[in-house]
Amino acid sequence: MSNTMEKRLQKELMKLVSEPPAGVTFDSESADSKLTLWKVKVVGAKDTLYDGESFILQFKFTPKYPFESPQVIFIGPNIPVHPHIYSNGHICLSILTDDWSPALSVQAVCLSIVSMLSSCKKKVRPPDNVVYVSTCSKNPKKTNWYYHDDSQS
Amino acid sequence: MKVTIQKWIGVASWKWQVNDDNCGICRMPFDSCCPECKLPGDDCTIVWGECSHCFHVHCILKWLQSQNYQDQTCPMCRQSWKFKTH
Repeated sequence: MSNTMEKRLQKELMKLVSEPPAGVTFDSESADSKLTLWKVKVVGAKDTLYDGESFILQFKFTPKYPFESPQVIFIGPNIPVHPHIYSNGHICLSILTDDWSPALSVQAVCLSIVSMLSSCKKKVRPPDNVVYVSTCSKNPKKTNWYYHDDSQS
Repeated sequence: MKVTIQKWIGVASWKWQVNDDNCGICRMPFDSCCPECKLPGDDCTIVWGECSHCFHVHCILKWLQSQNYQDQTCPMCRQSWKFKTH
């Protein structure tokens, strides 16, 4: 394990426990002792389609973090029904692969996902959900994601 | 009264002149070194990009090495990264 990864994750963990952003709760007990696997609880924001629903995000870090993005998926029984979230928990979000930057953090990723949920207008699965889920790798970072800018639509 | 100084010991402190407290990559204070080094100073120096963002040299080099040469960007503002020369 690299020092950079270890020290950064320790700092991020303390901050996420002490000052979690709205809609995000993190129990440091849920992280394994090496800090390479975290489970973060995310709650749908008020007055959105996910109001009151709660979800679990799983973060996996490699020793190359923060130079390499974490692997982030939804796990557990409740996977948000969303046009960019596959039923196996994989998330189509550019900052998780192509647009990752070491200036981002667990907190930034959580906020991005909460806002992605909040801006959703219709609860539907991605159009290619069935095909994707049956053919993809377990690791969403191995998928060649094709990103669209839907901020205008 | 006449005072004769017999001995004195000079003490100096130094600080990087930066507009941020922490390196945006490793999140360690600039006045300390990157997590892979032991001592701050010339062995773990700070570098600036033309976009005016700065990082520990070891941190930004690792980031740039992890990217393709043609799309090396600043982690903070995503502008293409060029070292600022003074």
